[in-house]
Amino acid sequence: MIEFKKIDGRSNGYWLVCGIFLALTIWGFYAWYLALVYGHCVMGLSQRVPWGFGTAAICYTIGASAGSLIVSALSGVFGKEEFKIFSRSACVFALGTIVAAMLSIMQDIGNVENAMNVLLHYNPTSVFSWNSFLYSSYFVIGFVYLMAQFGEKRRITKALAVLAVAWAVLVHSGTGGIVGFVYSTDLYHSSLTIPMFIVSAIVSGLGLLIPMWILTFKWTNRPLDRDLMWYLSKVMGALTILLLYCFAAEALDTAYVPGNAGAIHMALFDFRYPYAWVFWVIQVGGCLLTILILLTPWGKTDWGMGIAGFIVAIAVYGERYTLITPGLGYPKDLVPGMIFRPFWIVPYYPSWVEYAEIIGLMSMACLVYCIGLKIFQILPERGEVEKA
Amino acid sequence: MTSRREFLVLLATSTAAIATGKAMQTSPTDVDLSKYKWSMVVQVDKCTECISKMLEKQGIKFDKLPLDKQNELLRNIRPPCVKACDLANNVPRMPNNPRFDCYMIRIIAAKATEDASWRFFPLMCQECEHPACVEVCPTKASYKRPDGIVVIDLHRCIGCRYCMVACPFNARTFTFMDPLEHLEKINPEVPIRKDGVPMKCEFCRWLIDMERSEGVKNPKPVCVQVCPYNALVFGNLKDPNSEVSKIVRTSKVVRLRAGLGTDPKVFYHDL
Repeated sequence: MIEFKKIDGRSNGYWLVCGIFLALTIWGFYAWYLALVYGHCVMGLSQRVPWGFGTAAICYTIGASAGSLIVSALSGVFGKEEFKIFSRSACVFALGTIVAAMLSIMQDIGNVENAMNVLLHYNPTSVFSWNSFLYSSYFVIGFVYLMAQFGEKRRITKALAVLAVAWAVLVHSGTGGIVGFVYSTDLYHSSLTIPMFIVSAIVSGLGLLIPMWILTFKWTNRPLDRDLMWYLSKVMGALTILLLYCFAAEALDTAYVPGNAGAIHMALFDFRYPYAWVFWVIQVGGCLLTILILLTPWGKTDWGMGIAGFIVAIAVYGERYTLITPGLGYPKDLVPGMIFRPFWIVPYYPSWVEYAEIIGLMSMACLVYCIGLKIFQILPERGEVEKA
Repeated sequence: MTSRREFLVLLATSTAAIATGKAMQTSPTDVDLSKYKWSMVVQVDKCTECISKMLEKQGIKFDKLPLDKQNELLRNIRPPCVKACDLANNVPRMPNNPRFDCYMIRIIAAKATEDASWRFFPLMCQECEHPACVEVCPTKASYKRPDGIVVIDLHRCIGCRYCMVACPFNARTFTFMDPLEHLEKINPEVPIRKDGVPMKCEFCRWLIDMERSEGVKNPKPVCVQVCPYNALVFGNLKDPNSEVSKIVRTSKVVRLRAGLGTDPKVFYHDL
């Protein structure tokens, strides 16, 4: 029987961590306030690139949430009882990040006062509309799943874990569909986007959870089973390889169409624009560095696993960026078969407001997790599996 | 418990309310919009003549300009159709700020081969029969009227910009800042947009609805009205005798990005 306990949460260190996350959250909300007062002109967006960091943040936070919930359900769905020690904390983090995701939607839309219309006027042909239903129900399912875990109701928890995993996959598929189903932009329309979203969701979820657990157990003086962490890190590494395979398949799929030559060249090889840098350095480079770290003996240490997780979490954010912005930055083929003007590539650089918004929201999710540790019994007394 | 007297009063007022509502619905000004399918033909020869003359007057040889100057020129050129559209539809123009500059009509230059001569034409919302913007809108703020015009309900729009991303023609722009500061003149007939919403050409629906209700047989958007070359032809595709129907029926016209299947209702003649 695993004994979950609240943390004491009275140390200076605890308050310092909470204070840092709170300050970053306030900074993020201040940035949102500026966007509300002055309009979206405070962001790096333009008429040609109307989606940027904010939209990437929506995809990313939903992915991180879905990934965390899938990890949380490892014991319930796949019978991996040894991972039960992480199920509550992963679930709390998943709920924190889905709230961050919903807030990032609010930050990204231009007309916040009409936000409720998404729930009031359902459009069955809009993937975004499906998602409004999926996100809200996902939060409810995740919350009930957490409550069932608190109540130690074994059969209900198992059933809810299955439902939660199915819903997490559905939610993130819907998010992938927002971009993957758009057919008017050369670099968007791809059937690979949705499965790739699921893989990257689990990778980013694990990438954030691994360093978070290592730090949590270290700072609360609880023993943590390194073998379990190493197992999760290996899963993360294997999925990162799969993710790289997906990047290659999607890039080749797009590049094979002669009409996409200009767009794909800009996105991957034209280093005058930020897109190729983000693709090679952050997205591909980040994934390769993660695998490299995990292949070295240092990769098995706390620092190695934690840093590898953090790097791959950023690499997945890079993936969201390159999924959304280059396709918009490259001009649409308005007059097919003809040379036309105006024809120019729009580089997209996020402003500090956009950075602040995403950092603020992720900090808020971490703050929810920290407060949750103090209020609820979500952390086991010992992060180890009792050997029979 | 409701008394018989109260019940009768309630019944009478309800009947009166329904009757009044019905009467308002069938008022003579209300027309069945499904009788119309508004469409436009752009005669590219005439547009090219108009723009070429404008450039000639300024001593500009478009072909000799470098790419960035060609882009800049086309971003800022304002032939009569664009000028009239901007003024009539409260379009906030920001020529010095291309990132946020709003438009409803843009001028495009195109040629088939490197040695061919440039042809100029306006590009506005193509009023697709199967509009991608309507398909993706999460609140049904973008919708197609029975007469085929795709419109934006600003009271419903959340400003998610999904419509802008999905539009194959980049026909929509977004008010990144308060548009009021960038209007030369305000047309009270057209709603003044706030910041954070998209805008697009709606075939001057405020004008054609008004003219139609006044009994005008062939209402026209402002760009059509002011065109000095009569390059833009507007009319009802469902009326076989309209000029638009005749041109579409008898001439070689093309639609932009027709392969996507959105079925635009703007046709280009002689492109």
